[in-house]
Amino acid sequence: MTAESLISAIRQRFPGTLLASQQPNPSRLFLTVAREGMPPVADYLFNTAMARLIMSVGTDKSPIDGTYEVSYIFALDRENLIVSVKEVVNPADPRVPSLTNLIPGADWHEREVYDLLGIVAEGHPDPRRLVVADDWPEDIFPLRKNVPYSLRPPRVTTLKPPLREPKENEKKATVLSVGPFYPTLEEPAYFRLYVEGEKIVGSDYRGFFCHRGIEKVTETVLDYNQVPFIAERICGICGFVHSACYCMAVEQAAEIEIPPRAKYIRTIMLELERVHSHLLWIGLAAHIIGFDTVLMQSWRIREPVMWLAEAITGNRKTYGMNLVGGVRRDIDAVMCEQILSVLAKVETEAKELVDAAVGDQALKMRLQNVGVLSPEDARKICVVGPTARASGVAIDTRKDFPYLAYPELDFKIAVQQGCDIWSRTLIRAEETFTAIDLIRQSIKRMPAGELMADVGPIPPWREGVGSVEAPRGEASHYVLTGPDNRPYRWRVRAATYPQLQAVPRMLDRMSIADFPIIVGSVDPCFSCTERVIAVDATTRQVRTYKKNELLALTRQSLRQVIQK
Amino acid sequence: MKNLLVGLFNMGLVLLAAPLLDGVLRQVRARLHSRQGPPLLQPWYDLAKLMVKDDQAGANNFIFAAAPVICLGAVLLASLFIPMGGIVPLGFAGDALVLIYILTLAPICMCLGGMASGSPFAYVGSNREIMMLMVVEPVLAITLIASAIKGHSLLLANSIHYYVAHLPALSLIVCGIAFFMAVQLEVAKLPFDLAEAEQEIMEGPLVEYSGRKLALFQWSLYGKLIVFLTLFVETFLPWPKLGNLPVDILITLVKVLVAAVLVEIVAQVFPRLKIAQTMRYFAGVVGFALAGLVLAVMGL
Repeated sequence: MTAESLISAIRQRFPGTLLASQQPNPSRLFLTVAREGMPPVADYLFNTAMARLIMSVGTDKSPIDGTYEVSYIFALDRENLIVSVKEVVNPADPRVPSLTNLIPGADWHEREVYDLLGIVAEGHPDPRRLVVADDWPEDIFPLRKNVPYSLRPPRVTTLKPPLREPKENEKKATVLSVGPFYPTLEEPAYFRLYVEGEKIVGSDYRGFFCHRGIEKVTETVLDYNQVPFIAERICGICGFVHSACYCMAVEQAAEIEIPPRAKYIRTIMLELERVHSHLLWIGLAAHIIGFDTVLMQSWRIREPVMWLAEAITGNRKTYGMNLVGGVRRDIDAVMCEQILSVLAKVETEAKELVDAAVGDQALKMRLQNVGVLSPEDARKICVVGPTARASGVAIDTRKDFPYLAYPELDFKIAVQQGCDIWSRTLIRAEETFTAIDLIRQSIKRMPAGELMADVGPIPPWREGVGSVEAPRGEASHYVLTGPDNRPYRWRVRAATYPQLQAVPRMLDRMSIADFPIIVGSVDPCFSCTERVIAVDATTRQVRTYKKNELLALTRQSLRQVIQK
Repeated sequence: MKNLLVGLFNMGLVLLAAPLLDGVLRQVRARLHSRQGPPLLQPWYDLAKLMVKDDQAGANNFIFAAAPVICLGAVLLASLFIPMGGIVPLGFAGDALVLIYILTLAPICMCLGGMASGSPFAYVGSNREIMMLMVVEPVLAITLIASAIKGHSLLLANSIHYYVAHLPALSLIVCGIAFFMAVQLEVAKLPFDLAEAEQEIMEGPLVEYSGRKLALFQWSLYGKLIVFLTLFVETFLPWPKLGNLPVDILITLVKVLVAAVLVEIVAQVFPRLKIAQTMRYFAGVVGFALAGLVLAVMGL
């Protein structure tokens, strides 16, 4: 289905609904529909055109034209087409029809749009708050443009954690509180499990403890070339994915073509991240089920990749390589040799480890038929990456929406039909080797040339959607360019965002012993999902505190608490 | 006199040498992990650190506070009933059965302490512990009874002396294997450390414990390893006994060390099993032990 046939199909089926359409490049289509036309169009896209919901974006355009906008961004994976369907909302009556009953994967997106912009999704089955803190005031919506980024809302005295009431079958069950801090969750997240004996009969989730509003900071104080550095800090593992994804979205919006060498360098770094991320996951998964030998060996094998990243970029993580228009550092011939030799060693050692693990019957006993996500559920919740591919949903952004150097590289995507954790493990193991092969191909084909394109002023009010296949699955960034040399709206959707919504289905009727590995099996990255920020964006200064100063500060704040 | 000395030696072994054995095992584990590992005395440092730490107040009722003490006490008492160099310090007719009861006391204390803490994780852990006890205790009872039948005596020491004087018997080889499998669970080693399962239920019954009380539990776990392994090598692998007590004891200690390293290696090459899988596995082990008992009755 091409963009033209899609537009004519919508015109034909829903006359008068389509208000505007725009196709800045062959693989992106931006539609505007009437408010009441949104559910049928979404229904058509999701159920007939078999599109997948990537995310929804709410934008406050009231200072410009007095409206709010809500876009639902869909991917037609087979047709290399990303379709954004926009509806215009009146700020005096901020309501849109909910799509969650139609597309279960829209659940969190609509709750987030309410939390951050106050746009109500009418008919949402579960309209609890999702993103903002428990003590955030009910009537302040932070992404509205009239809310200053430095706002400190008044302290409230009552907290209302947005946890749901137990369902009928959960009333008699024991409540097991897992988190916010838990040995196998490396980041804060709270799961409330309803258990009968060892069996889980229901679960509830509260996350977003790390939400610090980096989208707001971007829209108010940073400029285009500062954002990649903050984007990279979204995640501690796949940071490069986020900075590359942001840059691609801006480049697409501004129609900047980056030099071929820069494309290859970004590809190499992305695949290096995949190698170390998958090895990290194999270790973590083994640790979760008590198999520390595999953890230690897998992390030992991974370590040279981190050193390699340090040699290339000056840092193990958080490379600071990306800018809008290209990359800041070259990978020269000597470095290429070093990459190849490190990868050769990593490949042999990883092969031994994977062969041993794949043949291990006890591992199979723990992982097979555990955390099952059916292909139908995988499609409905719109999961991505290894989680989707393990359920037989053959999507991979690198193939479906080829970006950077991937169109020129030769690779196959890993798909499994088992729908369980074992399949997810096999996929990650296979992808590790595919990634190593992709790096080799990239190094062989990398052309000489410039690293940065000439970037002029970026025109305002252009939209771009960047999609990158992160190790955990597709990460997507939406950028609406603005007039002040910064994005007017930047929305980040990491792979874990849809994945976590699928976790309750995987947990159903499983045992407590399976809980940690089920959550671990989607390779959750809470900070990505919640868009963490750890930098003081107002002063942009790093201050080192000495031990005594820190102690003094702690005591001071303690005294304040006591006095209150 | 000899009994008194061996008794003192056993208690010293459980109290002083057991943490050291764990230090050795941590080194073994580290080697398997390609790690450097902590110093040999690390378990001692850990215990010392726990001893000076603040104790958990709050959920403090009598059972919660008494459980760790009784637990370590039970292990110490058990050390007086295990043979060492062929001598059972507190041996009397039926000592093997008493030993089984005492050995069960330690995990029961852990469960009670956990339940008294009120944490749901402790409940889950205690539940698992009780379920596993129900499949693993029969193994101990059956194998020790088989050894008694073989030795025509209810005195543990007599059975051992009988076995030393004869060639390896099929029934006791079978029972020995079953016993060794049960040791892995009894000393809370992977793949059967479900009751503690750090990654699943945050150390289960121990989740609310800290400081001195936690140290006592840790200590009794270290001690249990030596108690079980000594019982194992003395009952099922008693050769050679040279008649010279210090040399016999030395030989036993070397065998215990080898067995402990074996236990640790097994622990490092398997992921943790789930409770249903563990129960199924030990149902098989009980059957195996029963076969050994039948063989013993048949005189094999």
